Amino acid sequence: MSIKQQFKEGLITNNPVLVQRIGMCSTMAITTTLFNGLGMGLSVLIILTCCNVAISALRKAIPNDIRLAIFVVVIAGFVTIVDLLLQAYIPALSASLGVFIPLIVVNCIIIGRAEAFCQHEPIGPSFWDGIFQGFGYTVVLVCMCLIRELLGSGTFGTGIFEIVNGALNVTLDGSAAGIRIFPENFGATILIMPFGGFLTLACLLAAMQFALRKSAEKKEKAARAAKVEVPAPAAEAKEAAE
Amino acid sequence: MTEIKKARGMNPIVRLAIILFAVSAITSGVLGLVNGLTEDRIAEQQRLKTEAAYNAVLPSESGYAEIAFDAEDPVFSNVDALSAAGDAGWVVELTFSGAQGSITAAFGVSAEDYSITGASVIDHAETSGLGAKITEDDFLASLVGQTEGMAVTKDGGTVNAITAATISSRAMADAGNMAIAACKALG
Amino acid sequence: MGMNILTIALGAILMNNFIFSQFLGCCPFLGCSTKVDTAVGMGIAVTFVMGLASAICYAVNLLLVQLGLDYMSTLAFILVIAVLVQFVEMFLKKSIPSLYTALGIYLPLITTNCAVLGVVLLNVQNDYNFIESVVYGITGGLGFMLAIVLFATVRDRLQFADYPESFEGFPIALTTAGLLALAFMGFSGMSIA
Repeated sequence: MSIKQQFKEGLITNNPVLVQRIGMCSTMAITTTLFNGLGMGLSVLIILTCCNVAISALRKAIPNDIRLAIFVVVIAGFVTIVDLLLQAYIPALSASLGVFIPLIVVNCIIIGRAEAFCQHEPIGPSFWDGIFQGFGYTVVLVCMCLIRELLGSGTFGTGIFEIVNGALNVTLDGSAAGIRIFPENFGATILIMPFGGFLTLACLLAAMQFALRKSAEKKEKAARAAKVEVPAPAAEAKEAAE
Repeated sequence: MTEIKKARGMNPIVRLAIILFAVSAITSGVLGLVNGLTEDRIAEQQRLKTEAAYNAVLPSESGYAEIAFDAEDPVFSNVDALSAAGDAGWVVELTFSGAQGSITAAFGVSAEDYSITGASVIDHAETSGLGAKITEDDFLASLVGQTEGMAVTKDGGTVNAITAATISSRAMADAGNMAIAACKALG
Repeated sequence: MGMNILTIALGAILMNNFIFSQFLGCCPFLGCSTKVDTAVGMGIAVTFVMGLASAICYAVNLLLVQLGLDYMSTLAFILVIAVLVQFVEMFLKKSIPSLYTALGIYLPLITTNCAVLGVVLLNVQNDYNFIESVVYGITGGLGFMLAIVLFATVRDRLQFADYPESFEGFPIALTTAGLLALAFMGFSGMSIA
């Protein structure tokens, strides 16, 4: 499988959240500000890539009977490392995501990819699989955050962007207030609440199903059209001959 | 016969156990290493955070002197630490339950009239975007100057509750009352 | 003390329901809720394991803190849960076969249920003592069961509902779960004074 194909799979056709429908707990729970979503997405991307490479490298040494136990140990190890590093260097993110960082251990994306992909594939493809699947996950998280944040509290990029004295300020300590698009009172606070998480994800999934169905229909139509068109030139040729 | 079977049956299990043990041991080793590298920094971050919180609620040039208290006394049941900030008053660090999990916050209490001089949240697990706004200056400012018996506007008080996060706001107001009660109990 | 326990219990079942307010355990919640029977079985199995895991991990955590190894807690907890699930499965198979046949297929799934690891981590984060931890574990499981059974009964009716084609399957299920979460929001703010 080429890298290009893997990229397309991770982002669209086999997107972990929208198509495989795994890792939904964190997708709904923490997507209230861009800072959280981006932080969580990148954490998962890093952990997933490391785990994919490690498991792929060990794939010949892992006995089939205890593979799940070993996956879990490897995953828990990487998750703890990222957790410790976040606590040390980006404490705001660690405080804001709280229990959802250690919970990456049971995030089905990682164990799912280990089981479905890395235990059969060499290190190279496993590495790219981690990057692209993690990227697909991050994109969905960021979309959820943008929608919920904008409609819920009327801001963009809370925790990362801020306008101070007319200049765009980018910070990574989570203290930025975000760019206000419309007054807070007009926001639908309900979207920030759990209900909003369920609803936003439902709409994204529905949009994805709609898009996939439309593209399938289009292909079908194109195929049918191609079939109809085939005799056409022949007929033209006949006419010309006559 | 059965013994041979047993021995054959044992071998793979022992092998599996050794592999699992080896993977766990390597993981633990790496974790220990990372922990050793980050431990000091995490402790330092925590200390800075607490120090910043103390300075934010009641600045003191002479530093903060920890005061011992009777942890069994119900007045102090939520109090983690109590320090005197010179003669100006006290800083009380409390842990109490918010809407989602526990909140740890520092409150400055004036020695003059037992009013709140400032509040700062050190640790919390409230919903980000909602309850998490208890960490923002707008809300914390409305706690300043409150005296015992404070309550959020919804309950007839003057603490401005955060929209859609009344529980977190109420928890903070209650904690302010606990902080004042603890200082009064000191005498 | 008694009041405290009651607050924790009611909080875990209603106000801070694991599914509807904390999003812990959504995967089995969505996966195992197509039939009411399955939902009840899953709920019982989760409650059982959550209670046990809370009790055992409380001891494990004490040990880790004593040894100064608390950074290893995530790794230790997930291993304890995995081993625990395995043991429960073996024990049930031998001693209570009737319960085993009822719960058997759900047990392996519980290892990767984030509600179980979540409850253990939250116990540590909230500094709960032994009794509080166990109560939080069991009532958290009961809250999960309430959520999944309610959801399964509603989902039964979905097959007769008329909704846009694109919402077929997961999206409509998620919307339903969202509406249930909205209903559970009514409990928030309840307190035992």
